[in-house]
Amino acid sequence: MVKVKNIALGIYIALIAFPFIYLLILSFSADWRFPELWPQYFGLRNWSRVISGETGLLSSFVLSLVISLSVATSATLTGFFISRYVNYHPKKRLWTLITYFPYVLAPVVFGACLSFYFIKVGLFGNTAGVILSQFIIAFPYALIFFSSYWGEQTREYENLVATLGGNPWTTYTKVLIPMAGPLMMICFFQTFLISWFEYGLTSIIGVGKVETLTIKVFLFIKEANFYYGAMSCCLLILPPALLIYFNKKYVFNKLI
Amino acid sequence: MSFLHIENINKAFGSDSIVKNLQLTLENNRTLSILGKSGCGKTTMLKIIAGLIKPDSGTIRLNNKTITEQPAAKRNIVYLYQEDLLFPHLTVFENIAFGLRIQKKSKDEIQDQVESMINSLELSGHKHKMPQQLSGGQRQRVSFGRAIITNPSLLLLDEPFGSLDSMTRQNMQSLFKSLAQQFHITSLFVTHDLKEALLMGDEIAYMDAGYLKVYKEKSDFMKDKSTGVLAEVEFWNGIASDLSSNFISS
Repeated sequence: MVKVKNIALGIYIALIAFPFIYLLILSFSADWRFPELWPQYFGLRNWSRVISGETGLLSSFVLSLVISLSVATSATLTGFFISRYVNYHPKKRLWTLITYFPYVLAPVVFGACLSFYFIKVGLFGNTAGVILSQFIIAFPYALIFFSSYWGEQTREYENLVATLGGNPWTTYTKVLIPMAGPLMMICFFQTFLISWFEYGLTSIIGVGKVETLTIKVFLFIKEANFYYGAMSCCLLILPPALLIYFNKKYVFNKLI
Repeated sequence: MSFLHIENINKAFGSDSIVKNLQLTLENNRTLSILGKSGCGKTTMLKIIAGLIKPDSGTIRLNNKTITEQPAAKRNIVYLYQEDLLFPHLTVFENIAFGLRIQKKSKDEIQDQVESMINSLELSGHKHKMPQQLSGGQRQRVSFGRAIITNPSLLLLDEPFGSLDSMTRQNMQSLFKSLAQQFHITSLFVTHDLKEALLMGDEIAYMDAGYLKVYKEKSDFMKDKSTGVLAEVEFWNGIASDLSSNFISS
């Protein structure tokens, strides 16, 4: 019985961990041809090219970070504040229905529909345009995410602070935001991921000029450069892995 | 004029009239118990007095000032819900100190007042605890302390012991009585529990379908058939006579 349990756990770990281990090995490799079991070169050459900036991966990594942090921060904050008004509004159901509209279309189609307006306002093919287009997808997500927070009990907290003499600023800074802290962290994490892995909208609005890490991964794969592709995948996994770690350590445990 | 003077307050939501021609007076340092069934308009009435709901008509005067148009934050009236609504991210000490921090009291003043309130609430040794670490009764005490420490002109209690078990409820009732005396509290105490209404109030009122009837004497309240006191007495008398006849026959 113990043996079966160990085998099952072994299979589970292998299935979960194998793709990541394989990607990591591939990122250190070069000239790995079938049917050889081990690459001809295995070392730091690929990664040293990242640091030297030769591959453009480092700049893509920084650009992706800037875009995703901007999208996550703006979507979380505006989503938090605006969802209050949506959820307290007498026509809450109508507003909530409208919130789902951006998800009726696939992001690529949505981006194609919006591209005309982006060209008109000069936001086509630049970072600001990509941030705005991703915000259009992340913001409704944040609105829906926070809708459960603005219930009857939160309103009672607001009323209580008012009768204790507090103004709206006190209500937000001393009660509503601290109470929603863990939720805001999760929303930030989720919207960061939406932006971090976004490909369709970025490729349409960025028109190849805004080379985020996700765009770079596809470029390397199209060029059949699997070693750089694997390396960019490793870089792609790094920030979400860190966010999962921090969320688990500081947020999920508190919520549970 | 009375400390609290309410005249002709009306409130309707759409075609539903919730509070009808509310008339009420209350002297300083007194508690008025208000008994009423669920949905009779008690909570709406309290929220109107607290400034959380705007009335359609009528005036509210508190301590010789008309406060009908004043926002809730300026009225110095604290509204306590059935749930304790402790701030989950603050300790017991910080929960109680919350109103004093809004009033911008000095650090030493806050320390002294909160320490003394914690002792009055019999919560010594719990001041650094988070709300999740307290029992239902302890949480309700903190909620009382947080309200009373701000020295409100009027305290509105909306079935504050509704979620407590009967033993804790009894303890809280006597604690509230002693706090009301110690801190000279003027309050409206809403409940749907007949015994609690009789125990807690210096005066008593009954609310039914939006109308509030204030009784001059508690005996008038007891004699009124609509309050249900007579039916309750009859019920317990029946139980008592059954018990005594069983006892004699055995």
